[in-house]
Order: sequence, then structure tokens, then C-alpha cells
Amino acid sequence: MNILAFESSCDETAAAVVADGRKVLSDEIFSQVALHEIYGGVVPEIAARSHLEVISLLADRALEKAGLARADIDAVACTYAPGLIGAVLVGVNFAKSAALALGKPLIPVHHIRGHIAANYLAFPDLEPPFLCLAISGGNTMLVDVRGYTDMRILGQTRDDAAGECFDKSARVLGLGYPGGKPIDELSKKGRDDAYDLPRPAVHGDNPYDMSFSGLKTAVVNLAHHAQQTGEELDKAGLAASLCRAVSEMLVSRTMAAAEALGHRRIAVAGGVAANSRIRVDFQAACEKTGRTLYVPPLRLCGDNAAMIGAQGYYEFLAGHTAGPDLNAYATKEL
Amino acid sequence: MLTLALESSAKAASAAVFEDGKMLSFTIQNAGLTHSRTLLPMAEGLIKGLDKSMTDIGLVAVSRGPGSFTGLRIGLAEAKGLCWALDIPAVGVSTLEAMAYGGPILDGQMLCCCMDARRGQVYNALFTVEGGRPVRLTPDRAIDLPELQSELIARQEPWILLGDGAELCYNTLDWEQVTLFTAPEPLRLQNARGVGLAAMGKPPVSAHELLPAYLRLSQAERQRLAQLDEKA
Repeated sequence: MNILAFESSCDETAAAVVADGRKVLSDEIFSQVALHEIYGGVVPEIAARSHLEVISLLADRALEKAGLARADIDAVACTYAPGLIGAVLVGVNFAKSAALALGKPLIPVHHIRGHIAANYLAFPDLEPPFLCLAISGGNTMLVDVRGYTDMRILGQTRDDAAGECFDKSARVLGLGYPGGKPIDELSKKGRDDAYDLPRPAVHGDNPYDMSFSGLKTAVVNLAHHAQQTGEELDKAGLAASLCRAVSEMLVSRTMAAAEALGHRRIAVAGGVAANSRIRVDFQAACEKTGRTLYVPPLRLCGDNAAMIGAQGYYEFLAGHTAGPDLNAYATKEL
Repeated sequence: MLTLALESSAKAASAAVFEDGKMLSFTIQNAGLTHSRTLLPMAEGLIKGLDKSMTDIGLVAVSRGPGSFTGLRIGLAEAKGLCWALDIPAVGVSTLEAMAYGGPILDGQMLCCCMDARRGQVYNALFTVEGGRPVRLTPDRAIDLPELQSELIARQEPWILLGDGAELCYNTLDWEQVTLFTAPEPLRLQNARGVGLAAMGKPPVSAHELLPAYLRLSQAERQRLAQLDEKA
């Protein structure tokens, strides 16, 4: 079954064709990073405008690269939530019109479910159940993946996403946007004990919930303090200490959940999974406890449409299709 | 071959189907901003009602602006999706021109089409009617209300106000100096019938080339340019 999939929830416009949920026939991405760079972050209106300009071109390229004609498409999938609403709307309205005109089923896909499904593309033998940590610029959640479409959120961030913490920190350190990559690179040149950063615990009875706003504020305060006093800031040391703090918060909760639920397999998904400190720490923790770690290659960690096509296949098998009245949502339960 | 016309630039969403220059069916919903949910089912319903299929559509006409940024994108994304999938062309028309085509088209009539653009401005274009067709007197623009008043006075009167900015103009402009009428509501607001009529005879473009005409930059771009201006 060939699924033509679209993703437009943030600052990447993407179209892909995926066969039977596992085989990527094409995976086209147009990144808007250059458009948003000068603003130091994603501007929703600029993102939505750009999606509309390029989406049909990406659809063409996805078919061309897959070597398929329109008639070879068996279904159309799209991210319908969560995301920047103006951005998601473009993908949803393009995809549902295309599905209606082609006379094919329309499959709405939750963006985070898509990130989790990136693992099915990278690891052909991986099947639920497993534990997945989904970490990106907009989301941070620990998910008990019991089936392809049966998931339970074990814990999540109460405030900022882990990726947002990296982006804001990068901004005050003058590293530009997006911040994940430059922070990661700089951190390799510094000592991870240079700064004693907080690892906030959250109140309440859920031990798997997280908070990153306090950590972000600590970095911002250190940078401002250094600026005001003229003190030299050990930027590499701060980046390394930040990566360590984020990683420790994520790894400790994930391993505790794996232990409590008896999961032997742990998957990491989302753009922040590209962070090398987080990868190394997870690898070590899994080796120590005899668990298997799954982390997709970098291209599949960021936003892409192939992951939407992968999850779309399993949503279709579960009967989760929609009609031309499908809407887009800024937030939605997983 | 059918032409499907879509309109979603403001509060109402509407769809219409044309064949050989004649409107076969038309529907409108004026119940708030639900276009993403309602516009495509409206179009599908019209096609089904005519006992036709989506593949009978040979051209999609859609308003490309000005208007609500999000509203425009819903209509344009749907038009692009249909055109891309069916491999057919599109015509993007000015929302203000569509408004004129949907209005009271009596020869010699002067039409002032306006949408509330906030910030003391309206999106506006002026038309007259010749041979049963609106003839454009100005390009589409965002214009300050006092400036619009001067233009209206300078030209032939009276003016019929069209669009969701009609009431704003009627209440703001000084009609001791210029004679104004607002069109009755069914003729006042832009709709897919006007879009279909305005599209006739216009050169079609591909799905890729179908682009919006917002007439205004995003707020972030405006602020950035203002800051650059200040520095300069």
C-alpha cells in the first residue's frame, strides 16, 4: 500500500511516499530555517505562507522520486495535530482535497505518533510494545507504546519542551537559531561540570513528569549576569553542563519507567534525539541494564513526512480515516 | 467540463459550480470561522448534487486575496490540492473583483469594494460597470479611509459600497461630501458566484503558480522593517 504523506506542523514542509508503513520510496523536505533565522525563532505567519507556496511542488517531487504516478497512490496521510495552527491547516487542506480528488482514503496522523513511527522506518524488526521518549522543539513526552495505535502518555513536560530549552539557551549564548546543533557542537569542547545547573523536580504524584523552564532560566541568568559584570562566560562549559542536565533528566525518568513497566526496548524520537550527549547517555544506560536502544538516524529525527506515512499505514489498518471535514488542531491528545 | 469556485476570504465560506459560463449550483455558510471543516464538504455536496464526480472538474477558481490570511490559505490550499491531484489548472482572482462581479452590475454604476483591514485602513478597489461587466478603475490596495474619501469625491457619484467593510465606510466617510449607498446584504459580501464570474476568460495557471495576494506583510516582517527604518 503506497501512502502519500504530508507534514507541515512547524517550519518544514515535507511530502513522502511510504510503502506498507516501512519502506520509504521518497522523502522530500523543504526547510524554512533560512526564512526564520533573522527572527531568532519560527514566525507562525511566515511559516504558514511558505508552506502554501511549496506544498504542491513537494507533492510533485515526492511522486517523481518514488517513480510513481498519481494513480499508484492508495491513500493520503497528513499531520493534523499538534502544531502551529496556520501551518498545520495548509497541509490538512491540501491533503484532504487531494484525497477527495483522487478518490482515496484520507488518514489523519498525530505528529508525535509520527515521530515515534520514524523508528519503524529505521528498524524494520521493531514492533510494539516498547517505551518511547519523544523529544522535540515543541514536545517532550514519555510514551508507553502498547500497540501501533494504542499509546499512553506516562509523563511529559509541565512547561517548556527540551528543544525549546536548547533553542532559548542558544539564543542568549549568541549561537543563532535553531539552537540544538550549535549547542551540541560547542558542548563537545567544554567540561560538563563547569556549571552546577538545576535539575528541577516537579510537584505532584507523577514521577515521570518533567520541567525545563527552570533550567532555561538558569542559563539565561548566567548569561545575563556575565554580560552585566563583564565576567567571561565559559560558553563551551555551559553548553556541556546544559546538555548533561537535560540528558540526566530525560534518561533517569525513562529508565525508571522502563523498570516499572518492564520494557526491554527503549526508543527515542524527535529532533532533540539528534543530541549526541543524550544518545551516548541512553546507550550507556541501556547497556548497563541489558536493554535495547533504538534511535533513528538524524534525517528521520527531525520533522519529515516519511514518518507520517509510516504511522499513517498503521492508523489505516486500525480504521482511523477521515472525510473532507477533517480539521487541523493546535493541540490534541496523543 | 465543470468549474468549481471557492471563496473563504472572510467570515462566510461559499462554493459554486459553473458549466459553459452558467452557474449550476451555489452554496454559502455564514456562521463563523469554520472554513477548514466546511468548505470542502460544501464543494463535494454541490458536485454530488449535480450527479457528477470530482473528476468532472476541469478548472478551480478561488479568491487569492486580499482577506483573512488564514481564510485565504484554506481556500488556496484546497484549490491547490484539487488541481494537483486532478492535474488541472486554476484561476486565482482578486477578492475585491469577485465582490464587484457578485454585486449589482448595472451599466454606469460605480462600485467601491472594501474589506476592513484594521489599523484605520480598508482593502479596496474601485470599479465601474460597462456592458454588464465590472471595469477596474484602481488596483487592489490597502488604503487609509480619508484618502479613499478624497478619491471617491474626485470621481463620478454616487457610489455603491460592497464588502464587509461597506458599513465601516458608510459610517466613517463624510456623506455630506459624497453620496454613498450600501448594497443589500445578498449582493454585498464576496462569494463563490462572484469568484466564478470573475475567473471567466482569465488565463489559468498551474497549482504551483496559484499564489495568494495578501497585500500586507506578516506582523513580524513589518516590525523588522520598521526597526531597520528607525536605525537608518
